[in-house]
Amino acid sequence: MRHVLTLATLSLGLASAQAAAPGALIIRFLDVGQGDAVLITSPEGKSVLYDGGRSEPRLQALLNLYNVQSLDLVAASHADSDHITGLIPAVRLFKPKFFLNNGLAGTTQTWNRLVTAAQQAGTQGLVARDQTINLGSVKLTVLAPPAGMPRNEQNLNSVGLLVQYGKFHALMTGDSETAETVGWLKKYPASALGPIDVYKSIHHGAKNGDNAAWLAAVRPRNVVISVGPNSYGHPTAEALALYKRVGATVYRTDREGTVTVVVQPSGQFAITTGHGPVVPANPPASRPAPVAPRPATPAAIPPTPAPANSGSAYYANCAAVRVAGAAPLLRGQPGYRPGLDRDGDGRACE
Amino acid sequence: MTRDEQEPTPDILTGTLIVDAIEGGLARVEREDGSTEDWPLASLPCGVQEGDVVRLTVSGGDLDIEIDHAETQRRQGTAQQQLDTLNQATPSGELDL
Repeated sequence: MRHVLTLATLSLGLASAQAAAPGALIIRFLDVGQGDAVLITSPEGKSVLYDGGRSEPRLQALLNLYNVQSLDLVAASHADSDHITGLIPAVRLFKPKFFLNNGLAGTTQTWNRLVTAAQQAGTQGLVARDQTINLGSVKLTVLAPPAGMPRNEQNLNSVGLLVQYGKFHALMTGDSETAETVGWLKKYPASALGPIDVYKSIHHGAKNGDNAAWLAAVRPRNVVISVGPNSYGHPTAEALALYKRVGATVYRTDREGTVTVVVQPSGQFAITTGHGPVVPANPPASRPAPVAPRPATPAAIPPTPAPANSGSAYYANCAAVRVAGAAPLLRGQPGYRPGLDRDGDGRACE
Repeated sequence: MTRDEQEPTPDILTGTLIVDAIEGGLARVEREDGSTEDWPLASLPCGVQEGDVVRLTVSGGDLDIEIDHAETQRRQGTAQQQLDTLNQATPSGELDL
């Protein structure tokens, strides 16, 4: 049986270079407070930012923290400010090639600033349609809003993104509501949707997002709720109960900080968190007909999973540290041990 | 001295709001300075929708809150045109980044 590398708590200070794990796909569910922002970096160093959270400085600081050097595509799941505000500095700084959007403009100044920034950056608008985008060896499938969604409801026109790398699947669907998930269920066979190894909770765990029928198709193994202090009651008890019912392990950015998923070409993956308690991941899901991965340079996989109940990180070797995106480890940080620090200068796995 | 002279209308109660999103009983609104706030939906005009421009005015000591339909339409039209132009050359088929 495959094992999942359950690495323990990492601090945000352990952030490493954007493409520090050769051969691995890195997905970071960024801790942007109440809002969504997901940074996807392929083994080839190609990057996508799916939503940007509600704060320009916060997103910019996170891009600096993770040493982002370039962005090839930014995506707005929809026009709400808690999803698009951080895209503004991202577009200005990195002038991405494409701006994926649902084709429905917002009326806010924030929206206007984002589109103006894209115009000035020479970024090409990309209306969501059923389309495959290859991010090096990582395949992104765009889930366009299904037909019949009312044009004046941004949530119902959220753009989804299915991320595939080897046997690994992640899914993000913005702030979709039940009507949109019903539309997708009519459009896609359940086998095309699930099982999903890592799934972004719809609409920060709102009442009208995830629902039993949708989750029965998606079959999420691990759910990340991107959420911060809010007045809306997110995540709701209803959403949490749904995730529990499908047996998913839940990660919350308000409690655990940025949630990082490191995926090997084989589909094995490790989930680490910025802070908070250790949350062991559910193992990879198996699909009847796995998607053949494109060739990718295999990376060393740490052979030993961390102790599930450990209060601190454990890395079998420096390869494991790098795969987790934690190099270099500084003395005093979780996971540091002299055995990994050959020259004893307090910086392991330099 | 009238009541108005004693209590000048605070600036916070005048101006324009744009409804960014409606979340249950709350509306997230964007103020003129670009910041966002959560307002009780019940405090906004009945039937207010996402994207609406809401105007706050004070006359005779009363606060009037109304949807500015003309400005809403104008903003929607301009923004949609701008986005359509940006999206005009959307490539089709599989994309390699």
